[in-house]
Amino acid sequence: GAGVGRAGCRVPRPTRLPPGWLPALQLARRGSKAVTRHWKAMHFQRQKLLAVTEYLPPRPAVPPRCLPAPRDRPEEEDGYVRLLRRQVEEAFRSSRMVAVCQYNSMPDEDVVTMRHYLRKHNIEVKFVLNEVVRPVLAQSKYRNLLPLFVCRNILLVSPETRAREMLRVLKGIPQVNLLGACIDDTILSRQGVENFSRLPSLEASQGQTVGALALLPSQTSSLLQRGPSLLTALLDEHIRRLRDTGTPGEPPQEQGTG
Amino acid sequence: EKMASKISVVLRPVKSIVVRFCPFEPNVESTRKFLQCIYHKKIQATNRNCEVTADVRHDGSEPLVDVMFADGDRLIMKGANLTTVEMLTALGSRCNAKDLKEEQKSKKKSP
Repeated sequence: GAGVGRAGCRVPRPTRLPPGWLPALQLARRGSKAVTRHWKAMHFQRQKLLAVTEYLPPRPAVPPRCLPAPRDRPEEEDGYVRLLRRQVEEAFRSSRMVAVCQYNSMPDEDVVTMRHYLRKHNIEVKFVLNEVVRPVLAQSKYRNLLPLFVCRNILLVSPETRAREMLRVLKGIPQVNLLGACIDDTILSRQGVENFSRLPSLEASQGQTVGALALLPSQTSSLLQRGPSLLTALLDEHIRRLRDTGTPGEPPQEQGTG
Repeated sequence: EKMASKISVVLRPVKSIVVRFCPFEPNVESTRKFLQCIYHKKIQATNRNCEVTADVRHDGSEPLVDVMFADGDRLIMKGANLTTVEMLTALGSRCNAKDLKEEQKSKKKSP
């Protein structure tokens, strides 16, 4: 039988094995182990076997660049993209002021600070992708905002139209450049937004209009009374003169207006 | 478009950059991309004193990049028919040339 070698592994000895029986364990110590820490060269037979059985990808008879290019499949609408588009539509519908700004890379804490200051004025900052926004704009009435959406942009949406505060915040951030805005369904350029911010508030301008309109009617009563009051004054003056000169003959003409 | 962010520009000899464009015009994309790349961390880190201003107008004027160098030179690039990469490489090569000149001058001064 097989003898027991060192460390208990069986050393193969030329023994007669019965036919149809292979040894269960056959270890041979020859040099280093199979798993080494250094790179161990493959056995030559193994090298040959691997070289022969290497994978060769099948080559098409006609190289693909000689064939006509495959027509691009129509893009499938991604559910996520649809959701983003719906959100953009909702933002446009629910806000009175939508400002488009170019966003150049900013440190993260600056982004958070900017968001915080704008939130104080009820302005929300939305990062948008051009490919999401462009189809939404093309089908809505904001078609003229389309050329603004190249490179990275952000949208500042707000249900109120506080342009002055927004401009003040953005003046302190050089990396965000205001390109244009749509306020109350009116598309404005940057200059337009600045002019808009300098306008007085709606209540003040309403008060001014009412005051200007009410000016003329308030003068009507004094205007109507001007003629008769002038006549009365003239007659009073005349009476006074007559009394002063002391002519008793003239009867005092006192004709008051009815 | 990945090329544009890989071009490194050393802004040390630059005093100020003014980028003027009209966002409602169709030919401003390369100028806007140029502005975006200029604000990148690495390029801004080369010179913190360089003032980059964006001038947004609405008068149909052409997009323009106006670079003032510290030694008084001025580089004006009209971005209507230029690509971002071209503008960045033009600026980068001039900055490198000025940098080399500065180094040589300082080496000559202090032998």
